[in-house]
Order: sequence, then C-alpha cells, then structure tokens
Amino acid sequence: MNASRLLVLAMLTSGCGGSAASDRPPTDATEAALQEGERKTSTDPAVNPDAAAMADFKGRVEGYAELHRQLAKGDAEQQKNSTPTQINDAKDALAAKVKAARAGAKQGDIFTSEVRAVFRRLVAPELKGQDGRDAKAVLKDDAPAPGSVPFKVNAPYPENQPLPSVPANLLLALPSLPAPLEYRIVGQHLLLLDTAADLIVDYMLNVGAT
Amino acid sequence: MRRVALIAILLVGLPMAGATQELRLPNKPGSLKFAVIGDTGQPGSGQTGVARQMQAWRARFPFEFALMVGGNLYGSEGPRDYEKKFSIPYKALLDGGVKFYAALGNHDDAGQINYKAFNMGGQKYYSFRPKLGVRFFALDSNYVDDKQLEWLSKELTASGSDWKIAFFHHPLYSSGATHGSADLQRGLIEPVFLKYGVNVAFMGHEHFYERIKPQKGVAYFIIGSSAKLRKGDLRKSALTVYGNDSDYAFMLVEIAGDEMYFQTINDKGATLDTGSIRRAGDVQPGQNVTTQPVVPQAKPSPVQPGPAKPKPAPQTQNPRP
Repeated sequence: MNASRLLVLAMLTSGCGGSAASDRPPTDATEAALQEGERKTSTDPAVNPDAAAMADFKGRVEGYAELHRQLAKGDAEQQKNSTPTQINDAKDALAAKVKAARAGAKQGDIFTSEVRAVFRRLVAPELKGQDGRDAKAVLKDDAPAPGSVPFKVNAPYPENQPLPSVPANLLLALPSLPAPLEYRIVGQHLLLLDTAADLIVDYMLNVGAT
Repeated sequence: MRRVALIAILLVGLPMAGATQELRLPNKPGSLKFAVIGDTGQPGSGQTGVARQMQAWRARFPFEFALMVGGNLYGSEGPRDYEKKFSIPYKALLDGGVKFYAALGNHDDAGQINYKAFNMGGQKYYSFRPKLGVRFFALDSNYVDDKQLEWLSKELTASGSDWKIAFFHHPLYSSGATHGSADLQRGLIEPVFLKYGVNVAFMGHEHFYERIKPQKGVAYFIIGSSAKLRKGDLRKSALTVYGNDSDYAFMLVEIAGDEMYFQTINDKGATLDTGSIRRAGDVQPGQNVTTQPVVPQAKPSPVQPGPAKPKPAPQTQNPRP
C-alpha cells in the first residue's frame, strides 16, 4: 500500500471510531508514510522538491476547469433530468466551444516536461509489486481496442470504446483533478480527459517509463 | 419409443418448472421491494427476456424501483441508443412507474448522469433513501479517487439508515476468469464499508450471477448477466455460495425489518437462487457466516475515536433453492 493510499485511509478512518483495526493509533511507520505521501504531491516547496511543478500543474488544470465553467453555459450546459437528445446536444455544443477556445492547444500545454518527469516518478513505484501487477491487469482488462484512441489534443474519446478504469493506486498517487477532468490510462499512456465534453485535453506518452 | 421418452421428460419437467416459477419472497405489506439488474445495455434476446420476466414478476411482486449496476449502454450513446438499449426494452416497467437508479460502468459515458430515467441527479456517485431505514449508495468504481471516498465516508456517517446498500460496477470479490476481483478498488472501498457498516453490495462487470460468501460481514452479489452472458467464465472458487454463468438473470429483493430476502430469476422465469440476509442478531456459526464482526454498531463521536461496539455480521440463509 502506497503512502497516498495510507493518507486517504487514515483521513477516512480517523473521523469516527469503528473497527478494531482502525482504532489502532497509526504506527511510526504509517506516520512516516503519510508524511511521505503529503510531501510527494504537496505544492509547498518546503516539503516537496517537486512543489513548483505540482503547483504549476495545479494552476493549469484549474485554469482549464475555469475555462470549462465559462463555456458550459447556454446551449452547452448539461442539465439534470435531461432527455438523451438534450444530453448529446449539450455535449456537442460544449465540445465545439472548447475546441474553438483551445484551437491552438498542443500536447504538453498541461503535462509540461517538468510535470511529466514528476508524474513518471510518482507512477513508476505503483507499477511494481503486487499492486503494480493488479494495476497492469486492470489496464489490460478495460483496454480499448488498439489504435482506437487518438492521441491528439482536442480529439474526442471514441464513444464506442470502453473508458479504461484507472487503477486506484495510480489515482491516489497522482494529484487530484478538478471536475470535469479525469485521468485515463490507455496502454502506456496517460490521458487528461474532459469527461463532460468527451475531449482529450492533453496526454503524455509512456507514463510508466522511468 | 421416442414419443414415450418425450412424455416422460415432460412429466418430470413440468412440476419442476412450476415450482421454480414460485415467488419465494415474503411479499409483506409495507416492505421495501426492488429489483437489481446489471450490464443491461445490450439489445438482444437476453435483455428482452429479462425485461419481460421483470414485468411479469412485478404483477406478483410489486417492486418500486430497479438498481442498475453499470454497463447501462454498450457502444455508441446517441439518442437512438438510449431508446434501443434502455427505454424500449424496459418500456413496460417505465410506463408502470418503476424508477431506475443507475451506476456507471466502464462502458458508460458520463453524460448518463443527466439522463432523467437513470435518476442520478447529475452525479457520478450519489445516495438515496427510498424508505425510512434503508439508504442506497451508487458508486463510480471506474474512478475511485479521494474525493469519492471522502464523500462516501461522509454520506455513510450522516446516514441514520439501518440498512446501507451499495451498488456499483466493478466487483470487489469475484470468481470470474475474465475479470476477477477488483483488488485495487477493494483496497480502498472495503475499509470504508467496514468502518461505516455497509451491509450489502450489488455489483456487475462480470457477465454472470454470483452470490459471494459474506466477506468481513458484508454480503456481495454480482448480477452482470441481465443482457450479456459470458458462459463458462465462472471459476470454481471458495468465494462462491452460488453462481450461474449460463442464464440471463435479474434479482428481486425485499427488505422487511432486519431481513433482506432475495430471489434471482432467469429470462425464462425460473428461480436460480434465493435466500435471506439477517442484518442483526448474534453471530451464529454456520456455512455463510463470517467470524469477523467488524461492522460498528454504535457511531461514536467524529472527534473522539473510541472503541467500537462490534455489530454482528449479516447472515446469509438458505444457501441454495
């Protein structure tokens, strides 16, 4: 179990008393692991040597999320309790607006070279050991057909392909994302996906490579 | 001679068929009645057969709503697909007032959260309480991030419900050869279930039916065969109480007090599995009873963690029909 996961579990189990296992105070090793997890994704340069890259990444994804919020209005706004036609029309309108607003976007605008280097360091340990084997199995299990996903900024994720589930250990090792962004891993590559517009916002190749 | 043999088969088969069409649920007035279906979004004879049987059984067992454990729409998701893959096959149920509550599977586009007939309220994970004392939690098992886990913990903590029932796509336990148990999701979700006393989970992804032995006090069901079937995929496993990978199926469920009754039925109307789960009571040694009662009964202060008073694990009764 990695440090990030321990952190989340500790947060979840510290609020209320419950099972015998969770009533135990964290061990020194657990606390050290928690501190390590915080350090890895922190934007505080005092505790994380990658803080600058993490802060930069956070700013870029929040910038995208704000753009999305601005564009997801009027005919591009998804409404609760919609008909399928309304859902598809709003998605298409939103995708068109995002593509127009980001017409000049290119690979690496969000996954900058600094961010890519940090992400590879965060992901590599998660692909080792039993959790790593499980993660690889998940990626293989839910994989879309080879060649079906275009690695291209502003391209739509193909709707007739499964969305690969993101292995939970990888998800918790990476910085969290504001809605509607999600990570997806296709083969060896990491996608940043706008799940409301079904668009590829950015991608990085060979995220598991060290 | 051939005719004699046929008659003999019919004589043996008819009484059995009659017996298996019997409603095995108590059908008590005032109980909560619902259905569970999974991996439904594939038009075909399986989906049609299950939908027809659901409608037919509803005449005897008036369930109010149906849980969908993901795999709601396979392939493209245009307006016509919503019709072909959902609203047409389940039209009789929809017209009859049955509400469907969906969870997202790995083939499901996020746009589904806004589809009126899926009752997701624009959320990838949500909860609802159809009746006092029972709360359902729909999870997005495709993307188990810290936000969702925190949400689940808060919802479970705030829930005063006696029954806590989760439904989602990826099975935390499974004997399937193709997918198997979702170990990574389990590593994150199960501690929350145990901590806050989830009683039952319904899951899909595997295209078969499997009733899992209660794990650490939680009862798990896989019902991913309501429109797709993966014959021969169910491996022999110590996890299984009962499994079926040769029939399209759905579940009828009834909650009355501390008992949850279930009946799993195939697309021909035959009963595959039935039984009940007791939520309260002393832990009794038995085939399907966990010896690890980890579900807390009391809800201590959120500020001061205290020793938990263990709550007995649910017991699964009637292992086979």
